[in-house]
Amino acid sequence: MEIVVIKYNAGNIGSVSNALGRLGRSCTVTDDPERIRNADKVIFPGVGEASNTMRYLKDKGLDLIIPALQQPVLGICLGMQLMCSWSEEGDTPGLGIFNEKVKQFSRPVKVPHMGWNSIQFIPDGIFKSLVTRSYVYFVHSYYAEPGAETLSTCVYGSAFSAALYRDNFYAVQFHPEKSGEIGQQILKNFIEL
Amino acid sequence: MIEIIPAIDLMGGKCVRLSGGRFDTAKIYSDNPFDMALKFRDSGVRYLHMVDLDGARTGNPVHIGLLKEICSIGGLTVDFGGGIRTRDSFKSVLDAGADRVSIGSLAVTRPEELADWITDFGADRIFLGVDVKNEKVAYHGWQSESAIGWQEFIGSWLAKGINRIFCTDVERDGGLKGPAVELYQRILLQFPGIELIASGGVSGPEDILALQEAGIEGVIVGKAIYEGRLDLPIPLLPEVKVGGGQKVRSPTPPAIGGLAKRIIPCLDIRDGRTVKGVNFIDIRDAGDPVELAVRYADEGADELVFLDITATIEGRKTFPSLVRQIAKVLNIPFTVGGGISTFEDAVVLLEAGADKISLNSAAVNHPEIIDKLAKSFGNQFVVLAIDARETLNWEVYINGGRVPTGLDLFEWAQEGQERGCGEILFTSMNHDGTKHGFANQALARLSNRLTIPIIASGGAGKPEHFRDAFISGKADAALAASVFHFGDIPIPELKKYLYQEGITVRLK
Repeated sequence: MEIVVIKYNAGNIGSVSNALGRLGRSCTVTDDPERIRNADKVIFPGVGEASNTMRYLKDKGLDLIIPALQQPVLGICLGMQLMCSWSEEGDTPGLGIFNEKVKQFSRPVKVPHMGWNSIQFIPDGIFKSLVTRSYVYFVHSYYAEPGAETLSTCVYGSAFSAALYRDNFYAVQFHPEKSGEIGQQILKNFIEL
Repeated sequence: MIEIIPAIDLMGGKCVRLSGGRFDTAKIYSDNPFDMALKFRDSGVRYLHMVDLDGARTGNPVHIGLLKEICSIGGLTVDFGGGIRTRDSFKSVLDAGADRVSIGSLAVTRPEELADWITDFGADRIFLGVDVKNEKVAYHGWQSESAIGWQEFIGSWLAKGINRIFCTDVERDGGLKGPAVELYQRILLQFPGIELIASGGVSGPEDILALQEAGIEGVIVGKAIYEGRLDLPIPLLPEVKVGGGQKVRSPTPPAIGGLAKRIIPCLDIRDGRTVKGVNFIDIRDAGDPVELAVRYADEGADELVFLDITATIEGRKTFPSLVRQIAKVLNIPFTVGGGISTFEDAVVLLEAGADKISLNSAAVNHPEIIDKLAKSFGNQFVVLAIDARETLNWEVYINGGRVPTGLDLFEWAQEGQERGCGEILFTSMNHDGTKHGFANQALARLSNRLTIPIIASGGAGKPEHFRDAFISGKADAALAASVFHFGDIPIPELKKYLYQEGITVRLK
């Protein structure tokens, strides 16, 4: 199985490939459209700033490639936010895979939302064989509002989307690669989809 | 643990149950509801759900006297409903001693009136019943079906402050058909912050387990108790399978919406080896930071910090390769620090796999390094470590606490935040090594002044110290070294203690 991790100008992409390594899987880190299109599974990770990252994706033509993918795709953190329709961060139009909009957390909660929080989900798909309200690790200042494509919710100040899903596209706001056994199970579920 | 809430449905002064909400199906279970309530209380029940069926039928509560008697038992949190259509009857229920008034039809037929009562009596005095039939809200003993979907209905009352809701799938109630777990999962997914009480369909302990796993706060049970399918108190729940296939006792899902307070062991590294002794029983090599890191992660540490205290330049070169190894095996976030003096040093560690770096002396000497790193790799990447000593005020020290800087702790922390660091790791030199507790006053001042998370460090000796750092110190995380390394405080026990003290922690 060919797992591709989309490479771009931000983030700690190594941690995703390390996590896959712990599951006994190897992956290719690339921004080559052909490799991405032909992969069995695509992971779109990310830590960074939305508008700069979006510009990079456009330069590489990835803004057209990613939404057209047919195989299972997993967006992580900034990856998830860029898959939405719009982000308040730098007033950035996203890839539009999901209809949800991305907004910034504000006081009274501390920003960034950093650490372990529990998430609500139905134990199926990428959450198969997990118990709802498991703790996962978050680091983010922006969030997708809950909507029709919400697959999991979390509460920080108010409710937000911890995961989104449509067709072959999955996305998580937290970092499965840093979320202990729970995160590993989520990655394993995604690979085995 | 999910709360078991027995239902006492009253008709003609007797304790009955209906099937499918129809009065002609009433079955009498007891002639003495008071004795029944007493029996429940004595078997460990803490909540009671009373329904005045005569009141529901006549439009005026009939069994207020009985409610008063049952409330006088003590030790029970009681809700009461049925026929509450006026402000006077609402008030009479509260006056009789009920904690909440359960409201059903009225929320559908006269929402403005209920909104007024919320204003006058408080949303926390209302227990909102949502009867769902074909995804729509049903009312009037389920004989009428409204055009409102449950999503819109719950959303609108949530917006008015109601947070405790009991929900019945009309088709399942009294039929022992199993609870509507799937419906409850969808409700919680959409409204993760609510206290959702399941009602109807429970036929035995396995249903309770399924509800608990779905994150349900409590469950109203009638027939299953009265017919002996569910004995009180509920025995320990059976074991279930979780991720990875291991069998564990079914965990109680925590209340949603609590960012957990973090417990962070700190490992000092010299020449690629951990410095302090460790007394984990089955660890092969106490000096191997990689093995130790995995062990801490397995025990439930939320994050780790690795500080390179190597004295020689030659020795420092080994640190990035150690970080690379740690990043390969560790499945939780980790911070590295010690000896980072330039932007390039930090980049090497980032590329080796560190999630965050902590800056100390270098940030004081060249504050612009914070800005540069935060801009390049995000605020979350930069932890500003501050060592400070309190004399007349809190003064910042650098070079391992040897050199005073004249900087004020609070002003320096504020500047760090403005320059873009994502967290403050504050070590009190007055408390470090004393094992007498953290510098809670200074921590609370930091926490009130700053908007970024604060990590407490220095002084941990007992589990109570962590509690105090989180409660009075308002810290977001607490770091310690020796109490973990020497096994004085095992992390699983610390987490359990904090949980029992009402602090949100991630339990494994």
